[in-house]
Amino acid sequence: MTPRAHLAIPRAATRARGDAPPPPGLAGHGWAARLELAFERRMHGCVLAHVRHEGPLTVQRALHPEGRDVCHVVVVHPPGGVAGGDTLDVDVDVRAGAHAVLTMPGAAKFHRSDGRTSRQAVRIRAGAGAIVEWLPPETIVFDGAIASAVLEIDLADEATAIGWDVLALGRRARGEAFRDGRWRQRLAIRRAGRLLAEDTLDLAGGDAWMRSRAGLAGAPVCATLFAAGRAVDAAVVAGCREANRATRAAIGVTMPLPGLVMARCLASGVEEARDAFVAMWSRLRPALAGLDARPLRLWAT
Amino acid sequence: MADARALAALLQLASPALPVGAYSYSQGLEGAIHEGAVHDEASAREWIVDAVAGPLAHFDAPAIARMHAAWRDGDLETAARWNERVLATRETAELRAETLQMGASLAKLVVAWGRGPDALRRDVAALAEPTFPCAFAAAAVALDVAPEDAVVAFLWSAAENLVAAALKAGPFGQLAGQRILLAAHGAIDHAAAIASSIGDDDMWSSAPGLAILSSRHETQYSRLFRS
Repeated sequence: MTPRAHLAIPRAATRARGDAPPPPGLAGHGWAARLELAFERRMHGCVLAHVRHEGPLTVQRALHPEGRDVCHVVVVHPPGGVAGGDTLDVDVDVRAGAHAVLTMPGAAKFHRSDGRTSRQAVRIRAGAGAIVEWLPPETIVFDGAIASAVLEIDLADEATAIGWDVLALGRRARGEAFRDGRWRQRLAIRRAGRLLAEDTLDLAGGDAWMRSRAGLAGAPVCATLFAAGRAVDAAVVAGCREANRATRAAIGVTMPLPGLVMARCLASGVEEARDAFVAMWSRLRPALAGLDARPLRLWAT
Repeated sequence: MADARALAALLQLASPALPVGAYSYSQGLEGAIHEGAVHDEASAREWIVDAVAGPLAHFDAPAIARMHAAWRDGDLETAARWNERVLATRETAELRAETLQMGASLAKLVVAWGRGPDALRRDVAALAEPTFPCAFAAAAVALDVAPEDAVVAFLWSAAENLVAAALKAGPFGQLAGQRILLAAHGAIDHAAAIASSIGDDDMWSSAPGLAILSSRHETQYSRLFRS
């Protein structure tokens, strides 16, 4: 019997909330938060072997809903979000042969800036034969935010990474657009030190590139999925395309080189993008990680 | 007559007759026409001007300037590092295939020209997977074209190739094409200024709408172009 993933991207956490400011002491005070995690494959299975944290960035107890070989963890952001010169650094080391699934309990929120730049950097290394899945909810960039987000994936030979980034510009439920501020983000995927994919975005509030058809084409949600690992059959890519025939979102799936699948989604809401990516993930995961993917409730609290 | 020689070299570099196969690629424009994103002269002009003002201005053009300096200084390692980065920004299978095919053709041409320093031709021949921008920078050095001129030549030939693709794939007349190309002049001027001043950390190339249209073009039933 194939082990099953117990994945549910929490929906409740992404609903619009009131306009409550970030809780005092948790955002907007130039916090430097840092979290280091290391996963190891041991005799009795995959374990979270090392945790070190500074500031309001922590990790919940590791879970093994798929059996002992796959370690699931929930990274907890500062609950109020990020503002005013906060920096968040997440450093994940998935050592040889280990398999880690990481997510967060709610959307990452970048608040309106007081003039200072906030910064989030997630760096993930995967050793030989390791598998890492980075499946966070969306990132919401409030109007007036000045911030950047970096996601760097460094893979050894024979390592696998599947993940996504769902960017929402402005708080849609409030009818808010990203008119003021600056948002920069960078995704870099390397294998054995060689850059396989780089995607760098730099948007000023109200930037013409948000409306351009080659840019964000007027969509408030821009999402990117990546799957890097062993070469997959073209049929898997076709399956990812087929899985989203009915969506209203604009989606493209491509395989720029044999060990890399990339997908893009421009949508009017985060749920469209998330549903599209979960459908692709459920096809990519068996092909790349040899594990069945069945979204179930686990973190929906 | 030194100026005439320099101008002739520049015109040869920017010419659509440069035998690198540019005419077989639309860089996503055929997909954009197929899906209705580009449907008239105004939307074609916007697509082309946006391409120049967006990723070309903020990534390809400054990368050309950097690779020009690297080739001129005989710094193969720096040229190769930027080449790797340029290739990594080609997100779809067909955009990647495009830059590799055109880059390999132009790299061969640089060697065949027999112009410029011997070391340049040796290094160009040694570079693995040359992208088109990287080979273009080497070609400019081989022909003794100044970096700021090479950047304008690159931007103009990119815009010209997009206009040519629009005329083949869409319902546009020759005169519309000329109007679009004239409209691109301002964007080229602006892009050249960005290319000469932007810092490494401010360069960006993300074009999600282009990536989606290019990905879909890969499985489009009937195609004139390879991208």
